[in-house]
Amino acid sequence: MAEQALPVEKGVTAPAGESTFMRLAKYTLMRTVVLFFTVVAGVYVTVIIANMGGYVDEIRRGEIRENISIAVMNNPAYKSYTLEQKRELIEELSRLEEKRLGLDKPFLVRSFFFLRNALTLRLGFAQRMVSDAGSRQVRLIILERLPTTLLLFGTADLLLFFSSVFIALILSRQYGSFWDRVFVALSPTSAAPGWFYGIFLILVFASWLRILPFGDLVDVPPPETPVLYALSVLKHLILPTMAIIIGAIFVSVYSWRTFFLIYSSEDYVELARAKGLSDRTIERRYILRPTLPTIITNFALLVISLWTGAPILETVFNWPGLGRTLFQAIGLFDVPVIVGSTVIFAYLLAITVFLLDILYAIVDPRVRIGGGGGR
Amino acid sequence: MKNGNVLQVEDLYLYFATKRGVVQAVDGVNLALPRSSAMVILGESGCGKSSLARAILRLLPRNVHTYAGRILLDGQDVMALDEDSFRENVRWVRVSMVPQAAMNALNPVIRVGDQVAEPAIVHLGVTKEEAWEMARRMFRYVGVPEGFLNRYPFELSGGMRQRVAIAMALVTSPSLIILDEPTSALDVLTQANIMNTLKRIKQETGTSYILITHDIATSSDLAEHVAVMYAGQIVEVSNAAAFFSEPLHPYSQKLMASVPRLHGDKELEFIPGRPPSLLNPPTGCRFASRCPLRFGKCDQDPPTFRLGERLVKCWLFEADAELAYPDTTSAHPSEQRR
Repeated sequence: MAEQALPVEKGVTAPAGESTFMRLAKYTLMRTVVLFFTVVAGVYVTVIIANMGGYVDEIRRGEIRENISIAVMNNPAYKSYTLEQKRELIEELSRLEEKRLGLDKPFLVRSFFFLRNALTLRLGFAQRMVSDAGSRQVRLIILERLPTTLLLFGTADLLLFFSSVFIALILSRQYGSFWDRVFVALSPTSAAPGWFYGIFLILVFASWLRILPFGDLVDVPPPETPVLYALSVLKHLILPTMAIIIGAIFVSVYSWRTFFLIYSSEDYVELARAKGLSDRTIERRYILRPTLPTIITNFALLVISLWTGAPILETVFNWPGLGRTLFQAIGLFDVPVIVGSTVIFAYLLAITVFLLDILYAIVDPRVRIGGGGGR
Repeated sequence: MKNGNVLQVEDLYLYFATKRGVVQAVDGVNLALPRSSAMVILGESGCGKSSLARAILRLLPRNVHTYAGRILLDGQDVMALDEDSFRENVRWVRVSMVPQAAMNALNPVIRVGDQVAEPAIVHLGVTKEEAWEMARRMFRYVGVPEGFLNRYPFELSGGMRQRVAIAMALVTSPSLIILDEPTSALDVLTQANIMNTLKRIKQETGTSYILITHDIATSSDLAEHVAVMYAGQIVEVSNAAAFFSEPLHPYSQKLMASVPRLHGDKELEFIPGRPPSLLNPPTGCRFASRCPLRFGKCDQDPPTFRLGERLVKCWLFEADAELAYPDTTSAHPSEQRR
């Protein structure tokens, strides 16, 4: 290395690297590609499972043959046909019907058609469910419900993140204090999902105190003006949001406070104190900033687990979102809606992970610039 | 006389409270460092060297049991300052520090330029641009290419990070820099290089150093003064030339005998036994149990004797020396304070 030979290296500059923006763009592209393949794989597995690995096709072929056989046998027009001719006719009609439905192609080929349709949101028609606007298109049923789900989980996730970081920072400052021990002691409560606490919240605030609604998105009938409508939604949002937060906050505060404590014992924090920086600066730049990547990773996992709780939570609160739609579809055995909801959830998970990845790259130069730890 | 010293430490005590008892990490240390000079503090691992550095900068952990004594910087007693004025007027303004193996001394998510410029912004009240200009000058000075200002610590090699840490310590031009084993994790070439850089800085800026190390070889040509620390106490203070040719304290002699020499086939010596625990140090001389020259009087705590310019804490020199601190001999902080 040059530095070993020359004590003073005048005029030597660091090799010009790519600009930070280019690196970030490259990183983003890479993440997009990886996540896209993840989604494709996830949806394809869903397609295979929903079709029982192609066995559903066998069932449908059998059904077609049976129906046609019955129809031909019972049709008086074919009474003069010999058994052999009837059999040929049945074969011919079954073949045509299978061709019409695309069943003549092997399942492997068809599975890729399913995959393409699912990924491009050509989700087909529901068997039983209807959208609020009256459409049978799975895509419309789902898109109608998506905003309410995003509203609920977006609000809850953001509140959860900021309140957890805030409380965790305070607790790390007073490690071992009363409140610190309270949060540590309560962290196992996060083992129960949010909807479990939702039931108690409904009992207390809706049934007993009667200050908040039991569920639903808005009052019935919905308020006329947009402002009142928004306020009504806000009122209905309180309990489900609280349920999600209560179900996750103790463990996130506990683990994040521990991250803060670990990172506060780093050498650079002590050096920052030696540098005479104020406690606030040290906390912000030398404890919070280096810890953020770890926290974001932890939060990404948490958000994913929250998404998976959506069907039950939304059902408990009668929240007209995607989760409840999936729950209803399972109850009604409406396969296209089940597959469609799963596809949308796969996309939502991927988008969540993608956004957090980008955030991660913004807060952690080691990811953004690449080259890894290098310690 | 005191104003001639950039640093004067008097009766400094730093004890930590642990579950197993009180750790006497710094136990009645007296030191004086003249302006524009360097002192190396030698000692084994765990003898309290780093705690001494922390005590001077008041970087105390939460479990401090006793923190007492006087620390005079340019003649001013900084122990009397409250936390805020100490932070604003002493840390990095008068005393800065290069931490042990700067691998983790730099914040991984902030550009090194920002980290070097930061003390200048905070303490000198300059704008960000001016502070970056100062940082750039310091980078050139310690031999790191300017382009690296915009880089993150993980993009730098170990030697470069150490140079950045030195640049950071220099940026506010403090009168004293404490170097806590600045080269211990680096390869010998880089070590030598950093030592040369430090020497050049000392000659050109007149900064004083306290160099804490257990590496006698690399320190020998930087420091004019040597202090030997054993079990939380300073057992010998001397000028470097005299010390390296003829150490006084039996521990210093053993320490020097353990340094490999290029010439001569003398077998390296080691000191039998282990340094005493700082938890419950023995009464009397703390080195007594390992000392080849011990005699009856070693059961009592030896005072520090003055031999000309040199100080030594050993009964062997009672006959031909005078007491260095006649008024403060056996004052123990447990009777004294807190």
